[in-house]
Amino acid sequence: MTATSEPPRNAVPDPGERGVFAPPSSFRMPWGQATDARIDASTLPDDIVLSVRDLTVAYRVRRGTVKAVRRISFDLRRGETLALIGESGSGKTTVALALVRLLVRAARITDGSVVYRRGARAVDVLRLGAAGLRHYRWNECAMVFQSALNALNPVIRVRDQFLDVAKAHGMTDRRAAEARALELLRLVQLDADRVAGSYPHELSGGMRQRVLIAMGLLLDPQVIILDEPTTALDILTQRTVIDLLRRLKGERQFALVLVSHDLALAAELADQVATVYAGRIVECGTVADMFYNPHHPYTLGLLNAVPTLSGDFRALDSVRGQPPDLIDLPPGCAFRPRCPFGTDECEATDPEVATVDPARSGVAGAGGHVVACLHADAVAKTFDRHASAARK
Amino acid sequence: MVAASPTLAKPADARASLFEGWRALADNYVARRIGKAVLTIWAVATMTFFLVRLMPGNPVEQFIGQLIAQYQLPYAEARDQAASLFAIDLDQPVYLQYFSFLGKLAQGDLGTSIKSQGVKVTSIIVAFLPWTLFCVGISLFISFGLGIILGALMAYWRGSVLDYSLTTFGSLLHSIPNYLIAMILIIFLGVRWELLPVVKMRGSMSPGIQPGFTLVFVLDVLFHAALPILTYVVTTVGTWMLTMKASTTATLEEDYVNFARAKGLTDGRIRTAYVGRNAILPLFTQLTLSIGFVFGGSVLIESIFVYRGIGTILVSAVSGRDYPVMQGCFLITTASVVFANLLADLLYGYVDPRVRVGQ
Repeated sequence: MTATSEPPRNAVPDPGERGVFAPPSSFRMPWGQATDARIDASTLPDDIVLSVRDLTVAYRVRRGTVKAVRRISFDLRRGETLALIGESGSGKTTVALALVRLLVRAARITDGSVVYRRGARAVDVLRLGAAGLRHYRWNECAMVFQSALNALNPVIRVRDQFLDVAKAHGMTDRRAAEARALELLRLVQLDADRVAGSYPHELSGGMRQRVLIAMGLLLDPQVIILDEPTTALDILTQRTVIDLLRRLKGERQFALVLVSHDLALAAELADQVATVYAGRIVECGTVADMFYNPHHPYTLGLLNAVPTLSGDFRALDSVRGQPPDLIDLPPGCAFRPRCPFGTDECEATDPEVATVDPARSGVAGAGGHVVACLHADAVAKTFDRHASAARK
Repeated sequence: MVAASPTLAKPADARASLFEGWRALADNYVARRIGKAVLTIWAVATMTFFLVRLMPGNPVEQFIGQLIAQYQLPYAEARDQAASLFAIDLDQPVYLQYFSFLGKLAQGDLGTSIKSQGVKVTSIIVAFLPWTLFCVGISLFISFGLGIILGALMAYWRGSVLDYSLTTFGSLLHSIPNYLIAMILIIFLGVRWELLPVVKMRGSMSPGIQPGFTLVFVLDVLFHAALPILTYVVTTVGTWMLTMKASTTATLEEDYVNFARAKGLTDGRIRTAYVGRNAILPLFTQLTLSIGFVFGGSVLIESIFVYRGIGTILVSAVSGRDYPVMQGCFLITTASVVFANLLADLLYGYVDPRVRVGQ
């Protein structure tokens, strides 16, 4: 099911992505083209900071249109962590990029809304003008990219990159900004003075990742998006970063969108986990829902693909086959060709997201448990059987 | 450095400290680089010295023959005169001549011209080099500046009409030799359409103009240098443009540029400090290298436009077999290339912190 009944909107032109020579917009800070982008905040529940509805992103390529994100909806509650889990190419990074409107030129957000709210004000991010968008980025929503190793400008010292951000967002007091940068660097357990005076190439991968996290906190955004924060790091550094994130999350109370293929990371950091398959959220629930009561065969497959130390290696059962071609999707459910539960019915209809527990929210995120599968109950029973077998 | 064990270090203390001083010097990047530059110039000077003496028809012998023919002097007298004129003791073995040449070179003495007797080569160079430096310097500045601006615009607007037309135009101009452009300019602008007074524009300044920092003088100098500058710019701007476009296009795809957008930095800041600064790095080395090449290229252009620079002097020296002047010109060209490279190496560390060595 979809929580919104709004008619589909036309494709939103994206001034932020027309290259940096985009014509300057005539409106003012902080929310840009206010009449168009502002939204009545009272329609949202109080604790929701980000509400995504029917987000659809398509890439135009030579062969046709890549449907990278298909009608994704979720809510993000204040201070909560939502993990988007999926294979490479499932569209999870595209979702993250769409949230800050940093998609490549070939991509278009063809439908949906991303409503961001702070206090009594709410705004549709997809309708923001250039100035409003610039304010929204980093001030309200900081996105840290996958490639931490290359995300810092190689010819500018770390200190000056912090000051760049501060200046761009109107922190005119240089000394105060610098003091805050040093404080944040200490917070992420770095030798603040040394790191601030360094060039990026003088820092290790783990240090750079922590610098980026510190930079993300500079303006106290309500939402932080981390794309594969630990992927490029060795296992000990991963541990440091995970511990750090968990501590910061407790101290700073920001909402976190975590994009990862790492289930263990999601289990450690997330409150809500969503599995993304072929550009759709196929299941979303709390960590407990997803790990102990999965209802989608893809979630089940991902869980089974994780080897355990004590488990029998041969029993490891991953998801068979390849992810589907996003240009030419199979009819009905996109997971059908790889699904052990699939029936003819699955080829006829692409199941909508529906709530598992009618007593809870019917939207992904925000505490609900939703799944898009015709055979969700059968999947859940199979998992129960496996789990009880494993306990014996 | 690993400390030597105390028992071994004590007796060899003085030598060790000398050795370490030498090591410190050899480890110092700047000192090493300057040493290398001096070595290169020395090697080129040595080569020109011996080449001149290996040439068939030794210039000194030729000059002696010329004196004998012209003034009916006896050989010994003519030889003495030549020796005193060139300040070369021809009875000396070649290696001693070589050392005296090096000694003079170290004092900045490049000998005297054969054709215009008694005129020191250094004074010729001092008189003509500034004109070439001025002309080439201005052209390089204009060409590089224009090239990076247009190249960056092409990268931002790639696929646009501007991009396509400039790419075509740039590669076309890049493939035409500069002397051809020079002749085309003279023939069409000067002769056919008579748009420019080409004959008046010859030389490096009009006769009767007093050198000085006056508007009249500056305008006159620019008037005379205009066509050489135009030729240089037209033939080199295409290369800068296309290189800058490629470099900027690559930089625009870098993660730190996207990340800068995610951080909500202003467009101006991203364009300069994030895209421009990084895109220009590969062009920097090329710029310093091209300084040397432009010196070589000045020969043809200056003689076509009759611009009184070092290139014209070199051409007349070659045609008049004026070996000391040729030697001096070659040495100056070499020195300018070597120093441009040295400058590039020393400055590159400041431009790109990743290659900065030591502290």
